[in-house]
Amino acid sequence: MKTNKLNKKYTPSELAESFVFRNTLTDKQKAEAKKQLAEARTKVRKNTTEETKLLASVLQLRYQMEDYASSSTYDSNLTFAYFLRSYIKLKYTINKKFASDINIDETELSQLLNKHRYPSEKTIIRLEIHSNKTIPALSWYKLLEKEKEYELQNDMVMREKEVKYVKNKLRIG
Amino acid sequence: MHITHLKTGITKPVFVELVNPEDFKLITKKRYWFNWKVEKGNWVYKLRIEGSDDILGVMSLVYIKEEERVQINLLAVSKENRGKGKEYEGIAGNLIAFACREILKLHGIRGCVSLVPKDILKSHYMKKYRMLDAGYQVFLEGSSLLKLLRDNNV
Repeated sequence: MKTNKLNKKYTPSELAESFVFRNTLTDKQKAEAKKQLAEARTKVRKNTTEETKLLASVLQLRYQMEDYASSSTYDSNLTFAYFLRSYIKLKYTINKKFASDINIDETELSQLLNKHRYPSEKTIIRLEIHSNKTIPALSWYKLLEKEKEYELQNDMVMREKEVKYVKNKLRIG
Repeated sequence: MHITHLKTGITKPVFVELVNPEDFKLITKKRYWFNWKVEKGNWVYKLRIEGSDDILGVMSLVYIKEEERVQINLLAVSKENRGKGKEYEGIAGNLIAFACREILKLHGIRGCVSLVPKDILKSHYMKKYRMLDAGYQVFLEGSSLLKLLRDNNV
């Protein structure tokens, strides 16, 4: 009755652009719908190309990176190195080949993957280009920024080391 | 993700996020057609323009983990954004694309978004959102899902 009101007011096309309605299938229809969907999905999967699978994997990684970077939690496992390693694994079995493809030294890549150095902006741009812009440089950068922020905030050793270089500290607070 | 202001043609960036418990007071039947309170156990998302608190669309998803799928249980755009006189174009498309993003993030290429359409709307969902026919349901998976993400710059 209520939906009839909508049918009078809007065309089917307009309704599809504005609503998804609750399903009203019977239990028998639901069981049939489940079977139909499983069959249709099997067909889709059979026809999925390797290129499509790779694109999906790269996008999946991008969304995971972006959601983590924008979250308020910090996880010491989810570093730039972790995501870079995951990215490389999507297509390469040998890190050396990846280093060569983005034209960085194998040692530099190893240092990045073992958290012994941060990437340069050039490297981040090359990562964007390598993914055909599927993972923007900014997504890598924000991840890195989160890591650096945490380290800056929690590096007590550096604070102790640097205190001797500061004179005439403001006597406030 | 962007929506277009139809009078001016200006596009505006939008943001999709989970609703807060307080939002259920705002997403009324009057403006969003359905009783959204009964969706509280599902993943309920709202769409708004970046920098604005106004909710332009709402979507309820049911996550079926064992099937690597989310079902769009309910979706509505706000009253002023429906039909011929609507202010913004692209609200529902962005919400559906967001559902695609979430399932892809969880299950990669095997993730699926589905809905049970009313018979009269089935062909429109297929045309407008690239959905595939599965009898009682329409769905997005694989290249159709990726294309919808690309269409909406997600």
